[in-house]
Formats: sequence, structure tokens, C-alpha cells
Amino acid sequence: MKETLLLTKHMRSNPEDSHLIEVYEKSNGYKTAKKVLLQESPEKVLEEIKDSNIRGRGGAGFPTGIKWGFLAEDEERYLVINADESEPGTFKDRILLERDPHQLIEGIIITCFAANIKNAFIYIRGEYAKPARRVQNAVEQAYQKGYLGKKIFGSDIDLDVVVHLGAGAYICGEETALLNSLEGRRGEPRLKPPYFPAVKGLYMKPTLVNNVETISSVPWIVENTGKEYNKLGVEGSTGTRIFSLSGHINTPGNYEIEMGSSFGEFVETLGNGVRNGKDVKAYIPGGASAPWFRGDQLDIKMTIDDVANNNSMLGSGAVVIMDEETNLVSAAKSIVSFFAHESCGQCTPCREGTTWLEMILERVASGRGRTSDIDLLLDVCDNISPGLSWPPKMTTICPLGPSAVSPITSLMNDFRDEVESLIPTKILL
Amino acid sequence: MNENVKINVNGTEIQSAPNKLLIEACEDSGIHIPRFCWHKRLDPVGMCRMCLVEIETPRGKMLVPSCTTNITDDMVVDTESDVVKKAQEGVLEFLLINHPLDCPVCDKAGECPLQDQTMSYGPGESRFVEEKRHFEKPIPISEIILLDRERCILCARCTRFSDEISGDPLIEFIQRGNKTEVNTFPNEPFKSYFSGNTVQICPVGALTSTSYRFKARPWDLKSVRSTCSGCPVGCSIELNSSQNKMLRILGVDNDNVNQGWMCDKGRYNFEYLNSDLRLTSPLKKINGEFQKTTIKDIYSDLDEILKNNNNVKFLLGTNITNEEYVSFNEFAKKLTDEEPSFYINDDLLYEGFFEDDIQLAKINDLNEADTVVVWSEDLKENLPVLYLRVRQAVKNGAKLIVFGHSNSTLLDIADYFYTDDVISKNFEIGDSLPMLEGVEKFINDKNVTAIIGKSTPFQADESIKKLVSYLQKYSNLKILNAFSTGNVYGAFHTLSSIKNLSDFSEEVNSDNTDVLFVVGADPIGKSIYSNQIKKNIKDIDNVVCLDLFIHETSELGNYIIPTSSTLGEKEGTFTNIEFRTSRIDKLVPSPGQALSDWEFISGLSNFMKLDNNIDSLEELNIKAYEGLAQQTKPIFDNLDKPSNLDGILNNFEVNISTSENSGTNCDYFVGKKLYGDNVTIRYSHSISLLGAKQFIEANNSTISKLNLNSTKCLLSQDEVEVPVDFIENEKLSDGIIFIPINRRNLNKFDFSKKISITPNHSKAALNVN
Repeated sequence: MKETLLLTKHMRSNPEDSHLIEVYEKSNGYKTAKKVLLQESPEKVLEEIKDSNIRGRGGAGFPTGIKWGFLAEDEERYLVINADESEPGTFKDRILLERDPHQLIEGIIITCFAANIKNAFIYIRGEYAKPARRVQNAVEQAYQKGYLGKKIFGSDIDLDVVVHLGAGAYICGEETALLNSLEGRRGEPRLKPPYFPAVKGLYMKPTLVNNVETISSVPWIVENTGKEYNKLGVEGSTGTRIFSLSGHINTPGNYEIEMGSSFGEFVETLGNGVRNGKDVKAYIPGGASAPWFRGDQLDIKMTIDDVANNNSMLGSGAVVIMDEETNLVSAAKSIVSFFAHESCGQCTPCREGTTWLEMILERVASGRGRTSDIDLLLDVCDNISPGLSWPPKMTTICPLGPSAVSPITSLMNDFRDEVESLIPTKILL
Repeated sequence: MNENVKINVNGTEIQSAPNKLLIEACEDSGIHIPRFCWHKRLDPVGMCRMCLVEIETPRGKMLVPSCTTNITDDMVVDTESDVVKKAQEGVLEFLLINHPLDCPVCDKAGECPLQDQTMSYGPGESRFVEEKRHFEKPIPISEIILLDRERCILCARCTRFSDEISGDPLIEFIQRGNKTEVNTFPNEPFKSYFSGNTVQICPVGALTSTSYRFKARPWDLKSVRSTCSGCPVGCSIELNSSQNKMLRILGVDNDNVNQGWMCDKGRYNFEYLNSDLRLTSPLKKINGEFQKTTIKDIYSDLDEILKNNNNVKFLLGTNITNEEYVSFNEFAKKLTDEEPSFYINDDLLYEGFFEDDIQLAKINDLNEADTVVVWSEDLKENLPVLYLRVRQAVKNGAKLIVFGHSNSTLLDIADYFYTDDVISKNFEIGDSLPMLEGVEKFINDKNVTAIIGKSTPFQADESIKKLVSYLQKYSNLKILNAFSTGNVYGAFHTLSSIKNLSDFSEEVNSDNTDVLFVVGADPIGKSIYSNQIKKNIKDIDNVVCLDLFIHETSELGNYIIPTSSTLGEKEGTFTNIEFRTSRIDKLVPSPGQALSDWEFISGLSNFMKLDNNIDSLEELNIKAYEGLAQQTKPIFDNLDKPSNLDGILNNFEVNISTSENSGTNCDYFVGKKLYGDNVTIRYSHSISLLGAKQFIEANNSTISKLNLNSTKCLLSQDEVEVPVDFIENEKLSDGIIFIPINRRNLNKFDFSKKISITPNHSKAALNVN
């Protein structure tokens, strides 16, 4: 198994200075954008994106071409780049921002051209200080070169890009919470309906919200045609994807591969196997919100649909390996703690429920659990995500609450013995 | 578009008007869905998740919050399925795990939605064994409101009210997730004129008011529906008492008027009823000292006096019921053959716009108008709930055009705000009116509802007419005459002729008046004609005061009769700004020998054998509405019908005959603040300090021109000296200085002459030490 470098090619070949505009231009950077703006039509670009069958890289995997098509007509429309990469285990956007910001900007230029947008925003998580600095510098360089601002590339098209930093809230990665935050409000998800971003988004105007990786793919697709992109990967999961591999693995890191091979192959070849030669006990296929797979499920293919058919999600492409010595209750507890800490506090079930789950898990993990706690955990989970099914039903506005339920249901479905073994059978006096 | 929508709820088909939320449609059909965050008058947020129901979708049954789901034709809804019940029980359990169990000492217990819905929908027992969330127990967030964050269930009703309705978002959520709390910003208290509404709509005991805290249990309360007589908006209210003491006032949702809201003055200005300083027995001045006497003694004295003197005049306050106005009118008619002289205690009273060719507006017309025009005194300070209705109209899409310096509180939401360049310092409108952009765009040929009144007592009547005649000529105009004192609209149609305080100060003196009745009025303490009136009244031989307290005016009386308050101590009717008449009702007994004004006048009439048939309230009530069609007569029998609880609208004949004011040159812009230094506020301890501060306002550049180096200064004119604070108000225009005349002693100047403003050295020196 080998990497296929589309998005990371430039940064790999220029490890020291790939973020500089001169270097980017040397690798033929901005040529596509210039050509598109001066010679192509917006319809043509949209056609290429649709042909590529690329699906959103933020987690939900919605076909990008269709999303662009949904954008409501209005004089004022916005593009917002979701660079609030906060899902535990995910660090793919970071390298794209930090080491190839111009590729993103070029993607923004082409996207805005295709969607007739004059204002774009890049919302970067607050903790990404260095990536944000690099992006900000890149934006300024692009302005100086005349690639952003008025009449870019000498065309009659204007485009302004604003870089905005988050203030440390995971929930602002949820697109409507991101828009609230960008408007200066509390980072709380909006009600859908009626506030679908494509209709009533930023400042109540139609807004396209796309992930960094998705938009960074746009220049390659437009340059090499959507049909070429569609040839990569497998049907339903075309193209390459940057997977963030972490956990008990020998060589963790970001790997750009075509989708379609199995998780086992990925772990063995690019990850060089589990640390200390141990077996995999469980792994997370797509970030902390995704239900876990067992170690005996490593043959599942790394495609959006295969993972979904096995009741989890490829999500943001964060693969976390847990070896046989992992205390899974503790692992689940730390994930639930994360979600409890990051709950925005709007919906009662999430605000109160995630913290309660954390308290119960803490008790169980430290050996002070009660026999009734397993049922209690499942019932509290059920009150946040009725039926405990996948994809989750929700009693909340956004899926953050149900995300905290995922690790617990995984634990209870596949590793119930381990939980029970931690609960004292009789009360010790 | 207007066809009803059919939806199926729990197997039963119901019909509803379109564009309704599911929770409302169900409510209308008698299906109750539990809720905490949803409130009819606030935008839905879908936060508490209590109102989850299941609807059928192409992808199967789905749980949705009924407060954010619009009904659609053939929607199939289940509000009682096992999934719904489980979700509701779950939400209640989540709400309760961190809610303190202090119901036994909580003001809300007994009328608490959390308690009630836990009983109906909640789990039977608690599975939460951990430590509950803790916050410091009640923290004061303003002089009158306390916040207990442990009890708060974060429904966002208070924060939404402050943001959407009152427009002063001073309370907000801070922190996030499990640590979320409602709080104020550092050093910025919840200083809102409408903060009491948040206490009323809080679904738990998190927000409480200082005046009601620990005073009673809801199940001990007696209540009655009445009308607030604080200003002519006439909010529908509910009075609550326990053990014969008035303890609380709540807003009642009257769609035409206040929609459930009240201002804090209306809500909290009631503690004076129980004040030790209330007059409880009749007083008679003997050798310059008041001495207790009996009503009968006063009757016989007055009988003697009135028989020998023909020149009787009346100065009436506006906290008087329509029936009482009628009693004075009937009484006066019998005393002389001449036209009785009634003066109303209102320095802003003028003839207004009531002619036949004027279309009078209803408050709800604000919502229908293309454009709302405001030229009056500050609505937020004087007609607070009307200010809320203007905000609502703007939110619903009406354009707002404001004239003059007085309504600076509307600056934030006004589309056009015309001051200096259009309106002179003395509130005269310039000739540029037809050329103004706002006028051209949003007045000409539009449906305009205008709120028109005097911005200041010194404004010439002519200048207002200029605007009105323009509006009348070029737009489809409806006028809401903005007078701002109590039941003044009741006086308009019950008294045979009405003059204002300016007329009173000029006309009434010892030369032409033998007997003066002063009823519930303190013009010396409150009005700008204070000095003149004091001089005049002093020399009048017989001054009969009917009042609740001894104050600057009543202390000049020869007799003082203790009276009942319009707030809960008597029955009657009240007519509001849109001529809607509604009931004023009685809940608590009057103290001592206090009696209603009409009872006194009726007794006096009988004693004098005047034979004027005003022996009962019912007689007066019927007399007040003679000439109206039987159906719409606001007589008690009609008003008590359930369909008329919100009051009855009528067209009344208005009898104002004030002298024309040609305008006075005045360097100052004077007006009233909501809280003033009047007797009732002074003796309502919860709010008494709110009206105590003496200050003047101006913008920064005006202040700097005055060369004041501290925030303290001294206003002086002849012998009058008042130390005041300077407050920066950037919404005022250059050169404009605002003086609130209802703060203590600030009405004692002659405003037509120069008032000098100098740094207050004595105060400054004190500060140094």
C-alpha cells in the first residue's frame, strides 16, 4: 500500500518552505485559478466538481457538488472555510493550513468563482496559532500579488478573504455554531430548520460551509478534471483522503491515500504495525464521535459507505488504534469527558446528560461502580439518543450529545465483560 | 393562503390556522405539550427539549421539538407515544439532577412549571447520587431583582425577553455546557425598566424580586384582575394579596394592550399602600396645625363654606377612576350655574388631535402600519409599554421615524431620527420637512401610525400641528395622542371641560377662587409651575385636599381627606390611550378611615342635600357612559363578561379646552424619568432609591463646553440651588441639556429664565478629603 499524493505533494517536495507564495507558484500554483477565472465559466467548474464525486471531508461526507448546487440565490452569498479542526484524533487540516495555505486560497478563489461569491471567511480554531499565522500571511501575500481583492488576476472579479480565529470551542466546528461564532455570538448550533446555511447562513444569507481538505482538493480537480479524480479511490469514496493515524501505532501521522483499502492494511503498512507488536483490541475509524470497531474488524474497507454499513462513520478520517492493554472504560471516559467539556449548554439532555455520564463512568473506571450503573449508563444514553441506533436519533439540536453516547454503546455492545469486571460484586465495607 | 391546515394529533384530526407552531396549534385544540423555554411572546429557541413530539417523516418517525416545528398539511403527530414519554421523562430528570430541592423556601413553589410538569411528566424518583451543581445563593443583579443560579434551568426566557422585547440585553449566558449560567456583565447591573417581566416569566424560582421575596405562598394569595393606572397605556394586571396586604402585581396577556408585559414602575410601585405614613383619618388645619377630626365635621364645615362661596375650582389628579371624575362633575354642576372649572394635574396637557377628520389609532395599528412616526415626550420613560409596542412594530417590519430630542431611547431602532437640523432646540419643526429622505420614502402615500404628543411643556402647540397637518395631507394617517399621566383619557370624556396645569397656574388665585379642591395631585412637588402654584394656593381661603399622603401640596390644605388608592383599594373603570375602557378592581381594604373620592363627594352631596343622584358606584358607572350604544357601554355588567375582560373600545367625545401655548424659549429640555420623586415611589421602599438621584444629562461636547472638571455641579437660579450629577448621554444633540423635572427640587426653577451651571466646589472639596 502506497500513498497517493495530490494535496500533500507540494508540501512533501518542499518540506521547508512550501507555505511561501514564491515556492507555491514555482510548483505551478495559482495557474489553475488564473486560467479558470480568465477562461472558464462557473458552470464548467461546478460540472468538474460534480464529475469528481468528491464528498465533504469534514465528517458528514455530503457530496460537495450537490452542496454547491443547493446554495440559494441571493445578491450576497458567503463561503466559509471550516478550519475549526477539533475532533480528537484529527490533525489533517492542520498540515494543509500550516504547510500549504496557498493551495487552500487557490481553492477558495475557484470555489467563489464557481458559486459567484465575493466574500470568504476562514474560521480557524483558536489553538492553531501557527497555522493561523501562516494562513494570515498567505492571504496577505495573495492580496499583494493581486490574487485577492479587487479585479483579481486582471479579471473583473472581486474577492475578499477574512481569517478569523475561534476561541477554543469544539462546538464551533458544527457549521451553524461556527456561523454564530463568526457573527460574534455564542457558539451555539442553530435550529435546522429554519437556519440551513445554504439558505439562511452567515448574517442570514446563503452560505457555503466547506472543510479545508475539500476546498484544498478543488484546484487539483479543476486542473486534472473531475473524471480523473473520480478514477481514484472507489465508487462512492472517490479521490484521496488524508487519514490521521494515532494511538498505539508505530508510525503515527498523516497519510494521504486513495480510499478503498482495509484498515488492517493501513495499520500494517503505513502505520508499521501496533506498538510493541501487540494486537488491536479496538479502534476508532473516524474521530472521537464515531462508534468503535473491534480488533477483529480490521478487514473493513476504508470507505465512507463500508464504515457506515458497519454502523460507524469514517468521519474526519481520524483512525485511533487501541491495543490489547488499553483500559477501554478509561478510554471511553476520556472521550465522554471531552464531550461534556465541549457541550455548548443549550439543550438540556446534552448539557446535563454528558456530565452525568462522565460522573458515572468515572465511578466505574475507578472501581466504585454499582451493579445498577450499567443499566443507568445505557438509560441516560437512551435519553440523549433514543434507541441507541446508528445513525443516532437525537433529543438535542446537534449531534454533540449523541457523540458522547457512541463510545458507551460501543463499550456495552462489544466489551460489556470488561465493564462488568470493574464493578465490585459486593459492597466492600 | 388563509385556509386552515389539517393535522393529525394522536389519531385525532385538528384544524389550525396556517403558519402556526405545532405547540400552539395543539394548545389551541386543547392538547397540552409540556414546555419550559417556549413562550408565546418570545422567539422559539428549542433549548429545553421538553416539548419533543414524534412526527411521521419519509424516513420514519422523528422526534422534533414542537416549539420550532411549523405545522404543515396532513402532518401526523404523536405527543403521547412511548418514545415521546421517555424523552420527556428524560429531559425532566436531566433538569432535576442539578436543581436544588429548596421548594419549601422557594417563592415559586406552588405556581412552578418545573414542579407542575415534574408531577405530570416526570420520573417518580431520582437516580442521581452525585453532588449537585453549586452557585452562590441569590445574588442581587439590580436593586430590585435577585438571581439564584442553582435554580436556573437555562431556558433563556429572561435573556430573550431582554434582547428581543425590551432591547436592553443586560443579562446573558456566560460559560458553557454544564457550567453555563445566566448573569449580568461585570459592573453593569440589570438596570432595565422592564426587568420585572423576567421574574414573571421565569419558569422556576431563579429570578425573584425584592418586593415579593419570602412574603407569601402562592396558595395563600388572593387575586383579582385590574388595570394599571400608572400611565394611559392601561396595562391589564393581576393584583395579588395575602392577609389583606398587597404583595405582588403581575402582567396579564391582553393582546390589544400590554401582551403580558409591564414596566417595573407599574409592577413595583405598590408598597406605599402599606406605608405607615398613609393618611388614615381626616385632618383639619387649626391654627396652622393639622388635627384629626371626623368626616362628618368636615362635611358640616364644607357645607357652610360652599353655601357662602360661589367660586369653587377643582384640580384633579389622574389616578382617579372614571366614576370619580363623574362624581366631581355632577357635584360641581350643582354648586353653581356656571361651567365648572376642572384643571388636570398635567403640565403636558394640550388640546391634542381629536377632531372629526382625524382617524384615531389603536395600539395594535402600530403592527399594521408601514411607518410609525413618533413625536412626543420620551416613550420609554413615560409610556413604557407603548415603547415596547413600537419596538415590536419595528421588529415586524414597520419603518420608524422619530422627531425631536426627547425620544433618544428609540435612536437604536429608528430608521430616521431627526433632531438638530430639523427640529430646533425649542422643538419647532423646520421647513425642510417635505424634503427629508425619510419623509419622502416612508411617509408620502404610506399607512402611517403616528404617536403624537408634546415633547416638553414649552413646546408650542403650533409646531406639533405643522407636522400633523403634513402627515394628514400626504399619508394615510392614524394618530395615537400621547398623553402620559394616569387616567387622563378617562377625564377627557367624563368631565365637561378640561384645562391644564399651565392654565391653573395662571388663572387660579385667591382673587377668583374661594374654595379649591385638590384631588390626588401634587403640582408643587412635581410640576414645573411649582413656585407659581405655591404662591397662588397659599392665599386661597379654603383648600380641600383628598390624598393618600401629606406632601408639598396637601400640606397647604385646610382640610385633608384620606383616600383609597386606585391600586387595589377601589372599584371603577379606566380609559386608556386608545379609548379602551377596562375594570379597576378592589382587593385590599383601605387603611383607617380612608375612602374613595366618589364616596366622599357622594357623602358631601347628601349632607348638602344637593340631590344629584350619585349615591352608588353603579349609578356613577352608568352616568359615565350615557349616550353610548348599550352593547359597547363599558358598564360593570358588560365589562364582567368574559369576552370583555380586555376592555371595550369606544368613540368618546373629548372635552379639552386648554389655552394655546405659543411656546416658551427655553435653553433646557425638560422631561420626566420613569422613576421620580413622587410620594408613592418615595414610600415604596423597593424602588424608592431608583427615583432619588438628582442629575442632568448632556453629551460630551456640551459638557466640555461648560468647563466642568468633575461629574458634580450646581444648578442655581436666584435662591434656588440644587447640586446635581452630570451624566453623559451621547444620544442627545449638541447643546441640549436635559433636566428631569420629576427628581427632587429640579422642578423648582423658572425655566424661562437662565439657570446657571457651575462646578460644585463644596462637593469637589469633600471628594478630595
